[in-house]
Amino acid sequence: MLIKFNLNGQDVEVETPPARRAVDLLREELNLTGTKEGCGAGECGACTIIVDGTTKLACLLLAAQLEGCRVTTIEGLEHENELTPLQEAFIAGGAIQCGFCTPGMVLTAQALLAKTPLPTEAEIRSAISGNLCRCTGYQKIVESIRLAAHRRAGELQ
Amino acid sequence: MTSTSEIFPIGKAAPRADARAKVTGTEKYAADYYAADQLWAGIKRAGMAHARLLEINLDKARELAGVVAVLTHKDVQGSNRQGVARKDQPVLVDDKIRHAGDAIALVVAENRALLKKALELITFTCEPLPEIFTMAAALAEGAPLLHADHPDGNILLQGRLETGQGAAALKECAIVIESSFALARQEHAYLETECGFAIYQDHKLEIAASTQTPFRDRAEIAEALGLEVENVRVIAPYCGGAFGGKDGITVQTLLGLAALNAPGRAIKMWWEREESFNFGAKRHRAELHYQLGCDRDGTFKALSVEVDFDTGPYDHLGGVVLALGLEHAGGPYRIPHTQIQGRAIYTNNPIGGAFRGFGVPQVAAAMEQMVDMAAVRTGLSPLAIRLKNGVKRGDRNPLGVTLQTSTGLLDCLRQIEQDPLRHEAEKWKAQAPPGKLRGVGIAAVMHGMGYGPTVPDTAHAKLALSREGRFKIYCGVVDMGQGNATTYQQIAGDLLNQDFAHLELILPDTDQTLPSGSSSASRTTYTFGNALIGACEILKKRVCERAADSLMVEDWQEFTLLPGRLRHLPTGREIPLQRLAALLSPDERVVSNRYRAPVNRDQPTANPGLKLHGIPHLIFSYGVHLAAVEIDKLSGNVAVKKYLAVTDCGNLINPQLFEQQMQGGIAQGIGYSLYEDLKVTKGVVQTSNFATYIIPSALDLPEMICKALAQPESSGPFGLKGVGEIAIDAPLPTIANAVSDACGVRCREFPLTAERLLRALKKEEDNAHKI
Amino acid sequence: MKEVFRPRTFSELWQLRRQHENAALYAGGTDLLVQMRAAKINPQTLICLERLAEIGRIEEFNDEIAIGAGVSQHHLLENPTILKYFPVLCQALQALGSPHIRNMATIGGNIMTASPAGDTLPPLYILQAELELRSQKTQRRLPLADFINGPGQTGISPGEILSRIFIPKEPVFAGHYFEKIGLRQALSIAVVSIAALYNISTERKITAIRLAWGSLGPTIVTLPEVETFLIGKTLNPATLNAAATLVEQQVKPISDIRAGADYRRRVAGQLLLRLDQPANYRQTSA
Repeated sequence: MLIKFNLNGQDVEVETPPARRAVDLLREELNLTGTKEGCGAGECGACTIIVDGTTKLACLLLAAQLEGCRVTTIEGLEHENELTPLQEAFIAGGAIQCGFCTPGMVLTAQALLAKTPLPTEAEIRSAISGNLCRCTGYQKIVESIRLAAHRRAGELQ
Repeated sequence: MTSTSEIFPIGKAAPRADARAKVTGTEKYAADYYAADQLWAGIKRAGMAHARLLEINLDKARELAGVVAVLTHKDVQGSNRQGVARKDQPVLVDDKIRHAGDAIALVVAENRALLKKALELITFTCEPLPEIFTMAAALAEGAPLLHADHPDGNILLQGRLETGQGAAALKECAIVIESSFALARQEHAYLETECGFAIYQDHKLEIAASTQTPFRDRAEIAEALGLEVENVRVIAPYCGGAFGGKDGITVQTLLGLAALNAPGRAIKMWWEREESFNFGAKRHRAELHYQLGCDRDGTFKALSVEVDFDTGPYDHLGGVVLALGLEHAGGPYRIPHTQIQGRAIYTNNPIGGAFRGFGVPQVAAAMEQMVDMAAVRTGLSPLAIRLKNGVKRGDRNPLGVTLQTSTGLLDCLRQIEQDPLRHEAEKWKAQAPPGKLRGVGIAAVMHGMGYGPTVPDTAHAKLALSREGRFKIYCGVVDMGQGNATTYQQIAGDLLNQDFAHLELILPDTDQTLPSGSSSASRTTYTFGNALIGACEILKKRVCERAADSLMVEDWQEFTLLPGRLRHLPTGREIPLQRLAALLSPDERVVSNRYRAPVNRDQPTANPGLKLHGIPHLIFSYGVHLAAVEIDKLSGNVAVKKYLAVTDCGNLINPQLFEQQMQGGIAQGIGYSLYEDLKVTKGVVQTSNFATYIIPSALDLPEMICKALAQPESSGPFGLKGVGEIAIDAPLPTIANAVSDACGVRCREFPLTAERLLRALKKEEDNAHKI
Repeated sequence: MKEVFRPRTFSELWQLRRQHENAALYAGGTDLLVQMRAAKINPQTLICLERLAEIGRIEEFNDEIAIGAGVSQHHLLENPTILKYFPVLCQALQALGSPHIRNMATIGGNIMTASPAGDTLPPLYILQAELELRSQKTQRRLPLADFINGPGQTGISPGEILSRIFIPKEPVFAGHYFEKIGLRQALSIAVVSIAALYNISTERKITAIRLAWGSLGPTIVTLPEVETFLIGKTLNPATLNAAATLVEQQVKPISDIRAGADYRRRVAGQLLLRLDQPANYRQTSA
């Protein structure tokens, strides 16, 4: 089936079996391997993407469900070589170790900050509680998200 | 923001070299290799624990259109054996099935759906053999042997170490504490499951795999599959986590075999999460029995330890796990009379293997609880008893080995003693709300670094000046997420005065980089870092000498390197490195340097097996942890609310990477303490997903404050010593001691789940009523 | 090749169901797609209900609230009407899965999965939710408790879908409490859960109480005898401990990979003691 959707700001049309998992469509067909697969069962969050402003798990979405949607993957955040403040904060704050959870974490945090610009630590921890990380103990991820929020708030003032 | 034009000196938190690619999703892990006409390979697993394989029926699978190859042991040209010390694991079963994960057949197919179907179509017949699921059964008289050719029967390796009067001295102790402990298997649970990508063309087998050990893999693959080593290339991208679970072959040999049978086609193998849970290696389940004897004043006098590790059916570094367990069994204390013995035992359970800590988390769990029990009996505080007995440089450790290198345990203890968080925690403890119990606990640990006295702990650093005038660092050791590649960049940048824009990392690749050992044993940065320092000095001298030649200056030391250029200091004349590079032949632009770590000459044992597997180490890191916990009386749930760790791991090259290692290790340790239990019934894993095997989420972990003594280890690169593992050794006893402080109860089985603790609390309550 | 359909209206849905009698229905996919991956089911046709507008609304009526079966758990949690009338449901939703799962999964899905560990079920039981089931030709309404027969088993008839969930606004309870004991704080499946609605008098006498437990049996467990025991008694630890003992005597949980029966039984009773915590009680009712 021919599926049309907006992917990282670009309209795309792709011919795919409708019941193909979105994670496979992105990784194998569209070469967007930044969306990781860690469990295939919705339990780790590595495949988190943003669909119409909401985080979803690409391992539990079928290709057909993307029809007409605005989809953002990790590859869609960088614009003209400029990283988002959140990505910068992840680097500066040491939030990245093996990095396999990072794309899902960044997108989850992006969706959080879009809704809650200055989240508390508890809100941050709750927001990323569906994204498992085995390397960091989450602390530097939480700190980096807070750093990005505060930097942005500082700029707004 | 990310500064590539900065020189990051030793001691500064340089941003990770891999961060940008990882945060934009462009980093290519082994899991991210795809090719247009790529095939998929998969494994038909035994599904049963112990049997003699009789016949495999492949016809139906072979007949399936789109199936490229269906392979068995008959298709293996080499030894068909893999392993590190004892090569006792078949690539494909040729005789006996020894655990549920054993590979019976290998399928290569055009896509994943076909692969799945073909695997289902393979059947086999076998003759069941008596199964061994407990260590006691393995040791019983007349127990069936897993490996008939192994001289020690079902014991992979055993050892006994004695000092002074050994266990006999317990009789003379005023106080003797005795206890048994059992610890569960732990899953590595890296987010990137085992995977790789292979192609065989022009008589060369190339494999990109998620691995910690590309050079050892190359040798194993060649031997198992009957290839010449030079015809095998292993590429090791950044791992999506490893923690020891990729220290050894996972997909590599099977993937190689698949590629040999589909020449010219790229082949991918990527285990599903359940496959990883069911068939990957685990932290060994351990059973320990301890007796600790001391004087009334709390001076330790005698220790007896018996420890058994369930190593599963194959030697996946189980001997090393045992040896490290024995070496660390008495903790960082002076104990004049010790008897420490243990065994790594073959069973038909999942493979026990390498996991961050290597046997030390198990023994530290026991010893540090024994120490707290001794503190209670002698009326000393947990800190006082450790300060009284803790080792300092020049002391003998419980193996009788003289500690000759940096030994910062007592300073760690004193720092914990004075830390404001400890005082805060004590205050917090006193304010427990109704329904909650609060406690504070500590534990002290040590962790040996490197391979020990027999296996050469060497690294070969290769460094090149590129034609473009940049320095290329050829990393011989894998970066599985710890950030050691960034550390190498920082070391070279500091020594060569280069910013990150003029430094380039070449990740491990057996065709490009040089053998430098495994990414394990807390030795990665120590050994490779020392090799790299030498390489930097050689290349710096060469570059300056050639600059001196070109400017007709006599003394090369009149030059300094600057980012991308050289300056002749007396005249201020500069030469761009790019221009200088053009003057050098490619051979001249490359240098290499070998470093072999020093070994301990002390002889605590004559047992060649124990020496081979690492006893004794020369350099140890030390750490003291403190945790404040809150117990919910209704559910038994334990929450860790505050956490502090003080570590002696020498100087810090990059404080941010130090904190990452510590926090990550503590997090895994908290999981090991409270949640993680890989349950196995009749050799089959029952907790094969993240819904049943529980690793901590962001809501389950506290803030972890991690401090370093930052006292140099003089032999280390810039005074560093290993920090990769020590963080995971202490959390379990720290938390168990805090729980005991909170409620007076001590469990003997771990993890300390809410269910176990509630049962223990109830028992305590019932006993109290009886009195 | 598997087909996937995404009807927008009931009439499209009815037509699809006529054409594909064996089609599997799903909304969020957080359960069905997991089962497909585990090869427990292998439907050739899938009907995704996420775009079916008629089951995607929350409506307030005089005496009840109607929640479309396709409303995501996240949307429910964000909805001020739900929070105002049914805090106990919101507490359960907060404990469900993870933020991503809540974004995808629906309340209807949680009901249709009919797991004894389904987090919304204990609150919906004691809120006395009723279900609206529709097919092309029929429409019926029945209490949730009469609909769920066992794990994964419901009283749905061929051709029917769960369309709306009705929850009465009254009686009003000032005490709303939900707690899940899982194996961690997020992404956890209930080892035991409890939902409670209660009112107390100024003298702290329990004037009304409804209780339900998850993960204690094949379906949600209610214990009318325990409720009867508590009515008229003073809300204090002694009363609750006595009730806890009653609970322990009456429930017959199983042991599984997550916990043993003894633990479940003990905690099921013990959780009642949380009702003594003033934070769980609103001084002024909704």
